[in-house]
Amino acid sequence: MTGTSLQDEPLLSICLGGNRKQYAAGDELICEYQIDAIDTSDMQAVEASVLWITEGKGEEDLGVHYFERRLPADAEDGDLRPLRRFKIYLPNSPLTYDGAILRIRWCVRLRLFARRGKEYVLEYPFTLGSVPAVPVDPASAAADDDE
Amino acid sequence: MARLFRFLEKKRGTRRTGSNLAGSVGEALFFAAIFLLGVGVIASLISLHDPAAYGFGLGRWLIIMVAAPFTVLGSAGLIWTVLRIGVSVERRSAMAQTATEIDALSDVIPARPEYPTIPDLEGLKNSPGIELSYRLPRTETPAWRLLAATIFTLAWNAVACVLTVIAVRTHVARESDWYLTAVVLPFLAIGGWSIYYLLRLIVVHTGMGPTTVEVSDLPLEAGREYRASVWQQGHIRVFKFEVCLICEEEATYHQGTDCRTEVREVFRRAVFEQTDFLIEPSQPFQCSFFVAVPADAMHSFQGPHNSVHWRLVVRGSAEGWPEFRRAFPLVVYPSTQTLQVQVSSEQRRQAMTPPLRVVAGGAGVRA
Repeated sequence: MTGTSLQDEPLLSICLGGNRKQYAAGDELICEYQIDAIDTSDMQAVEASVLWITEGKGEEDLGVHYFERRLPADAEDGDLRPLRRFKIYLPNSPLTYDGAILRIRWCVRLRLFARRGKEYVLEYPFTLGSVPAVPVDPASAAADDDE
Repeated sequence: MARLFRFLEKKRGTRRTGSNLAGSVGEALFFAAIFLLGVGVIASLISLHDPAAYGFGLGRWLIIMVAAPFTVLGSAGLIWTVLRIGVSVERRSAMAQTATEIDALSDVIPARPEYPTIPDLEGLKNSPGIELSYRLPRTETPAWRLLAATIFTLAWNAVACVLTVIAVRTHVARESDWYLTAVVLPFLAIGGWSIYYLLRLIVVHTGMGPTTVEVSDLPLEAGREYRASVWQQGHIRVFKFEVCLICEEEATYHQGTDCRTEVREVFRRAVFEQTDFLIEPSQPFQCSFFVAVPADAMHSFQGPHNSVHWRLVVRGSAEGWPEFRRAFPLVVYPSTQTLQVQVSSEQRRQAMTPPLRVVAGGAGVRA
C-alpha cells in the first residue's frame, strides 16, 4: 500500500465490494473510492484505474483495464470528494503471477491531482485467478541477490 | 535421386540431383575462395609503396579494378548462399505473396481479444499438418546467426589477409617486421576459427534434416491433454532424441546503453525420449505422444518487455554431429482451475464482515 499519513495531506480511500482480495476471471469488481481532508478548490482531477503491472528483472509493463478521469466540471457542485462507485468485469488474462524473474500483479489505483502540481497515489492490490507461485530455486535466488 | 556427383548432366532449373549439404558447403567455399583471391590481390598491390605504379594506363589500377569485383562477388555470393539456407523457394514465394496481400487498413484496427496479453495464433494456425491439425513453426531461425557469422568471417579474414600480405612482403624484402608478424598470427588463428565456426553452422543447418512438429489442437488449454507428433529427417545415427515441454520467463531490460534479455526456465517435462536408433533418408523418424500442460500452470503472456513462453523443444545428439536443439512455440490458455478463485473458509468469514476502507497512510475506518 502506498501513501503517507501527514496531517496536511489528503486522505484517499479505496474499498472493493465485499472487502475481497481475490477475484476470478470474469468476476464483477465493485470499487468505491473517496477523497477527504482537502479543500475542493485544491483538487484539479481524480483518476481511478484498474490495471496490471509487471515487476521483476525486466522493465515494467502496464496494462490498463479500466480508466476514468474526473474533473471538477464533471462532479455535482464541482466537488470530487464524495464517494464514487464504479463497477467493471475483470478480464480472462493476465492472471496474477509470481514467477522466478517476473511478477504480474493487479491493483486499483487512485490518483489525485492537486494544485501546484502535487500528486497523491493510492493502490489497492488484489489477485486475479489462482496461479500458484513458482518455487524459488535457492541457487538462482542467491544469484539474483548478488546482482 | 542420384547418389554420386555427375560432372556432365542437364541442368534442371534450380533443383539438385546431388546432396544439398555438399552443394551448399561447396557454394560457400567457392564464393569464399573468390573473395579471398580478390582481397589478396588488392592487398598485395596496395602494400607496394611505389607511387609511380598508380599512373593511368594498363598499370596497377587495371589489376585493382579487376580484383575488386572478385571481392564484391565473393562476399555477396557467400552472404546470398547463407541467406538461402533453410528457406525453400516455395516459402520465399509465399512470403513475397503475403507481403503484397497485406491489408493496411484492417491490420491497424485492433480487435479486443477474449484473452488480452496472450499471444495471438495468427502465425501458428495457418499451416495445417499432415497427421494432426496444425504444424508448428520454429521459434528461432538460424538465418540471423548465420548472416552475422558470415559478415564477421568476411570482415575479419579480409583484415587478416591484408596484414598477412604486408607481413610476408617484409620478410621477402629481408626487412622482417617481427612485431607485425606477431600481431598477424593471432589474427590468422581467429580467422581460421571463424571459418571453422561458419562451416560448422552451415553443416548443422543444412545437413541435419528438418524437424516437423504437429499438434492436434491450438491453443492448448492448461489441464487438458493433446496429441503431438514429431518427424525428424536426415541420415544419422541418433544417440539420444528427446522432446520436452518447457515454460520460460523472458525479461528485457536496459543496463546503461545495453539492452539485455534474461530467460529463466520455470517448467520442464520430458514428453518423449528414445535412444540409439538410425534415421534413414527414405524413412524419417516419427514419434507420437501426448502433451499435457499442468492445470495450475501459468498461461502464455506477452508484454512489451516481459513474457511467458511455452514451447516444445526437440533435442538430440547424433553420431558425428553437434548436439541440436529446435524449439516450437505453443500458446497456452489458462485452465478453468486457475481462472477461478481458491477461497478458504477464513476468507469467506472475512467477506461477510462489514467492508473496511483503506485510507492512505492511516488506519482503516469502518464504513
